[in-house]
Amino acid sequence: MTIKKLYLIVLSIAFIFTSCSSDDDAGTPEPLGNYENGIFVLHEGNFFGGNASVSYISNDFQTVENNVFSSVNLTSLGDTAQSITFNGNLAYIILNVSNTIEVVNRYTFESVATITGFSSPRYMAISNGKGYVSNWGEFTPSDDDYIAIIDLSTYSIIDTISSSYLPNEVIAVGDKVYVATGIYGNGNELNVINTQTDELEDNITVGNSPDSFQLDSDGDLWVLSSENLIEIDTDTDLISQTISLGAAISSASDLNFDNGNFYIYAGGSVYKMAETATTFPTASEISGVNFYGMSVRDGFLYGLDAGDFASNGELKVYDLSTNSQSQLFTLNIIPSAVYFN
Amino acid sequence: MKQITLFFLSLLFGSIVQAQTLIDSIQQLDEVVLSDVKLKRYANGYKLTILSDSILRKNNTSLTDVLRFNSNIYFKESGFGMVSSPSFRGTNASQTAVIWNGININSQLNGQVDFNIMSSSNYNTISIRSGGGSVQYGSGAIGGSIHLSNDFDFKKHFNHTVQLGYGSFNTKNINYKTSFGHGAWSGNFGVAYVDSENDYKFLGTDKRNENGAFNNLDINLNLGFVFSTKDVLKLHHQNFRSDREFSSTLLASSNSKYESEDYRSMVEWIHIEDNYTSSLKAVHLQEQFKYFESKFFDDFSKGQANTWMLKYHYKREFSKRLKLNLIADYSYITGEGNSFNDPKRNAFSATVVLSHRPTAKLQYNLNARKDVISDFESPLVFSGDVSYQFFKPYTLKFNASKNFRVPTFNDLYWNPGGNLDLKPEESYQLDLGHELRFKNMDFKLNTFYIETSDLIQWRPNAILGYWSPVNIASAKHYGFETELGVTQQIKKHTLFLTTSYSYTKTEDIEKQQPLFYVPVHKTNVSLSYTYKTFTAFYQHLYNGEVDIIGNTLDGFDVGNLGLSYTIKTKNKMRYITDFRINNIYNSYYENVALRPMPNRNFNIKLTLKF
Repeated sequence: MTIKKLYLIVLSIAFIFTSCSSDDDAGTPEPLGNYENGIFVLHEGNFFGGNASVSYISNDFQTVENNVFSSVNLTSLGDTAQSITFNGNLAYIILNVSNTIEVVNRYTFESVATITGFSSPRYMAISNGKGYVSNWGEFTPSDDDYIAIIDLSTYSIIDTISSSYLPNEVIAVGDKVYVATGIYGNGNELNVINTQTDELEDNITVGNSPDSFQLDSDGDLWVLSSENLIEIDTDTDLISQTISLGAAISSASDLNFDNGNFYIYAGGSVYKMAETATTFPTASEISGVNFYGMSVRDGFLYGLDAGDFASNGELKVYDLSTNSQSQLFTLNIIPSAVYFN
Repeated sequence: MKQITLFFLSLLFGSIVQAQTLIDSIQQLDEVVLSDVKLKRYANGYKLTILSDSILRKNNTSLTDVLRFNSNIYFKESGFGMVSSPSFRGTNASQTAVIWNGININSQLNGQVDFNIMSSSNYNTISIRSGGGSVQYGSGAIGGSIHLSNDFDFKKHFNHTVQLGYGSFNTKNINYKTSFGHGAWSGNFGVAYVDSENDYKFLGTDKRNENGAFNNLDINLNLGFVFSTKDVLKLHHQNFRSDREFSSTLLASSNSKYESEDYRSMVEWIHIEDNYTSSLKAVHLQEQFKYFESKFFDDFSKGQANTWMLKYHYKREFSKRLKLNLIADYSYITGEGNSFNDPKRNAFSATVVLSHRPTAKLQYNLNARKDVISDFESPLVFSGDVSYQFFKPYTLKFNASKNFRVPTFNDLYWNPGGNLDLKPEESYQLDLGHELRFKNMDFKLNTFYIETSDLIQWRPNAILGYWSPVNIASAKHYGFETELGVTQQIKKHTLFLTTSYSYTKTEDIEKQQPLFYVPVHKTNVSLSYTYKTFTAFYQHLYNGEVDIIGNTLDGFDVGNLGLSYTIKTKNKMRYITDFRINNIYNSYYENVALRPMPNRNFNIKLTLKF
């Protein structure tokens, strides 16, 4: 590890303390970096195109900056960005085809470390001071899929756990990490990892191709699959409710939770379902859209239109009180996910 | 195949005696026997560039390099030895027809020919016909066509060539060729093998070209037999196998591997009368590939297509000045593989070509063609071309054509995504050419305008949730090309210069931006000097900046230098040594983004001719 990286770590630890103390103080907080108050749009970029990127948009929508990583660090981010996971002052950007994770300061976007040694990494969750990264290995073989465990202090892989075929999204709840496996019609299992023992503790059968997770107001885990929404009690890991999406809904993705409601994107429309509901709605909230990624926060929906994957994509912001589009930004190639910093 | 061979063997033994009487008539037949006759005869208004045997021999083991350094064609090559897509005048690889001994061999699966899985050794001539040629060469001949030909020499001879080569990145090649002419028979046979670790260093980095090794084997057999004063039988067979890793990029790692195998076989019977000639061809083409996502695993996906074709060509000479050609062909094409459910296609086409030469200086051709293909409606295509020699060195050429490209098996049947509602791409174009031909100098200048519509592109489908091809885009291309060839001989010194330049502007009409991977400027120069049996040459390529998705890719210059020395012996034996330095300036360049091309590298070859 270089002196510079060490310095950055020390600096980032220092930032945690400053940020904690500034919450307590009534005075004006010191800015943590140029990207403190806004959202990041992760751009997957073209497969083997090496044009993954991150754009920043300030919360007041006044500042828009593309290629944040490369302009701060003067180097390319990598090939096919899959996801970002935040922990403390750091952001972990997972690059699926480069087989790397770029670790940056989430406020300044300065590079802290590059973690290598993955095989088609997808998503990362943090539990008990460790990172859990789902890896596909080669796509076709079903026996080389695994979860890599990262020591967050040394930025290195310390262990791996075999998983079911095609482990994808991961979520940490207490001392467990839930792993959705079997995307694209290849499975229906959640692997549950005990993060104290780092062993596979349980498998929960859910709907086909589990896509995304959310925790509701009671801390229950909801899993969106291609056929249903399943609610899981995370104390017992038992399914407490299964809500079928119905035959009319296809390619459901991007489960979001905001203000007591779930939001789901499917086939050019956005559906909204209250957490108390027992059936999936038939009518959509917003239709005629083309989202490659979608996030909802505080009454606003952020939809990403990747267009033809060869032109700059768009971020469309909708005010959910009226379901009307309030902002439009043309960003970069293949925007795929929104993160709130 | 086996049966065809047996058939030939029986002909051979049954006809040796009779053959002796035919030798006189063979001289007259010779030009008819040359393959792909209509290329030269019925396209006077088109630009035709012929790469001679010496150019082919001078160049390396890569067909991509041969054409890149010696023609206006631009190649998008995904790293050295990887997928290589030709482009004429800003069109794409699916809009470039590749013609093997008169037959279109573009893939039935993706419509393209990857020039790094084509043999570079076993052809006598490579001809480049610029401009739309769908009437004569079918689907895909929009930007132009590249013709790979095996010719016959009936003069009595029996020659062998053995070549051994070794170069940087552990590149080895070995070739054997033999050619004979004896009485009514002529034939040639060639085997060529190339193997390279291709692990060149990426200049300015500590990386190498990982996972880029390749090898390929070409086997080529051609036989010609004159079995009466009026009949010629020809056989062409080619088998090309390639085993290639797909390299990593600067940012992406790869373990994938691609194996391909092509079989091409054709029997042709030509019958010649005083006022008409007829030719019947029976053709079988097979292409197959296996794609390994990882070379460390046995899993692969595969695809295969078979084409059986009968082609009949009738040429009637009403007079020395007026000729009519009628061509009809029928193809039955099948596909199989992991991504489709055994698609089949029946295709029939009828073509009429009228060729008229009212005066010694003026010639024009009028052509029309109609295809009937199962699954979709094909347009009536036509072309007209004219050439007029105003005065001795100067000829004006003009052609106009409508061309098309049919949807491929992948476009129609890929599961999921294949779209059965697709229609063929269409293109209209105009080309005006000037040719100056002096004793020691040739000059060509062509201006062109191409409009294409209903271009098939794969787009993400929001409702279906997967990618599907649609007839969505349209494009305009215009620009000009020049070619200059100069030969200067002073006593025993010969200087030979060829150079070409192209200026190509394109516009995607929907997006109002230039097409990706089309250099506005491309130029190459080749200069060779020969003294007695010593030859030195220098090749230079300037490839201008290109637009890529969301960015631009810098232009580059690259130069190669070569020396060749021939030792003649008292008998027939000749030894030729070739030494070659590629990329002599050690320039860093990318032909496709993030895929650096080789640094300076060396190659030595020893050739024995006897």
